[in-house]
Amino acid sequence: MKTAEALMTDELIMEAVKNGDLQQASVLFERFHKRIFNFLARMTMDRELAEDLTQNVFLRMIKYRSSYREGNRFETWIYQIARNLFSDHYQAHKNKFSGFIDIEKVSDKVADHEEGAQQEEREKILHRSMALLSEEQRELLVLTRFQHMKYEEVAILMETSVANIKVRVHRAIARLREHYFELEKI
Amino acid sequence: MEKEKLEALLIEYIDGNLNETDRLQVEQELAKSDEAYLLYEQLRQVIQLIEKSEAIEPGSKLKQGFDSFLKTEIGSNQKPKGKTLFFQSNVHRIAAGVVLVMLGISIAYQVNKNYKQEQELTKLQNEMNATKQMMMAMLDNQQSASQRMVGTTVAYKMDKMDDEIVSALAKSLNEDPNTNVRLAALEALSKFHQELGVQKVLIQSLSMQKDPLVQIALIQLLVQMKEKSVVKDLERSADDPVTLKAVKDEAYSGIMKLS
Repeated sequence: MKTAEALMTDELIMEAVKNGDLQQASVLFERFHKRIFNFLARMTMDRELAEDLTQNVFLRMIKYRSSYREGNRFETWIYQIARNLFSDHYQAHKNKFSGFIDIEKVSDKVADHEEGAQQEEREKILHRSMALLSEEQRELLVLTRFQHMKYEEVAILMETSVANIKVRVHRAIARLREHYFELEKI
Repeated sequence: MEKEKLEALLIEYIDGNLNETDRLQVEQELAKSDEAYLLYEQLRQVIQLIEKSEAIEPGSKLKQGFDSFLKTEIGSNQKPKGKTLFFQSNVHRIAAGVVLVMLGISIAYQVNKNYKQEQELTKLQNEMNATKQMMMAMLDNQQSASQRMVGTTVAYKMDKMDDEIVSALAKSLNEDPNTNVRLAALEALSKFHQELGVQKVLIQSLSMQKDPLVQIALIQLLVQMKEKSVVKDLERSADDPVTLKAVKDEAYSGIMKLS
């Protein structure tokens, strides 16, 4: 049997948090922390930094709980916080950003057989290709392809039309293909 | 077919989103053009690779950090909530009034008052010490910037600061490797900028800061405090060739407002 918490929508839980039932914040953390962490890990290409930023996302969720507007989609709101934090971090550190990406810092998987090793190698090239995309294109692919967010949801998050998101995603995939097969030759 | 249009159609074809007409058009294009087929194969490989890409698991410290922050936040929210509940209804308010009047008449309250005040003060002192120790441990956590952020948040919420807290925040402001932590430490210190010890820390920090974001925030605060003694430091920043333009502008603006 499902518990009452499991039956509650994210929005109802956030409203409870906003009204002072802070304990409910842990339910939202359980539901969203892995997705937010994965979003930030693929954006920053640094898992330790992504953990720190994810932590900050949920601290902000509690600290600024009164700014959550009832009726708005919680997922959009929490992703907006994550995007803002990433953007703040990127702005603050852009002078120090070298463009060098240490793929080992993103994933801690270890290949245990030949097929696994090949897949691992392909994934490394994929991550390097992702790093070569613009921040905007990388974000679109992380949200729509890695996180399977619908175009409609991304359009709301980025305050634009679905058609616009679709065109931009197509361009991002096409660009990713170019980078991937250029890097594969090396 | 134009390459961008073909790419878009191929992606939708791979995703299985095309209607019958468009699907047939794509298949005809693939049958007659080797170039289109190569493009299709490469797009398919990249899309499949993304599909196969597994989620990354976060470390356990993420949850521990969140739980710890939540506990602190709930603790700091409980006290006012308790009071509100107790006096929520008029019946409770009246009852509390009656009890107070009866107490006033029947008890030699002077004696009790002194005793109770002493007990409450001790309790408050203990609570403050516990919060302070927890905050100092968080500020000193070298492993996690988030924990140090929580530490500065706790410091910001404190009603008063002692020398130990001021020097811990000063250390964060001047030495922490994370910009967000340094800015949060500045925010916590700014709340107590009228205290002499804090003023001294802020003035000294101006000549030590290298991070433009912190420099700008610090200059704005010192100008707001009307701290004229920093004009020389501002002039030095403004004349320094390595200072960023945005910081120089802020320094010039500060000099004008303080002079």
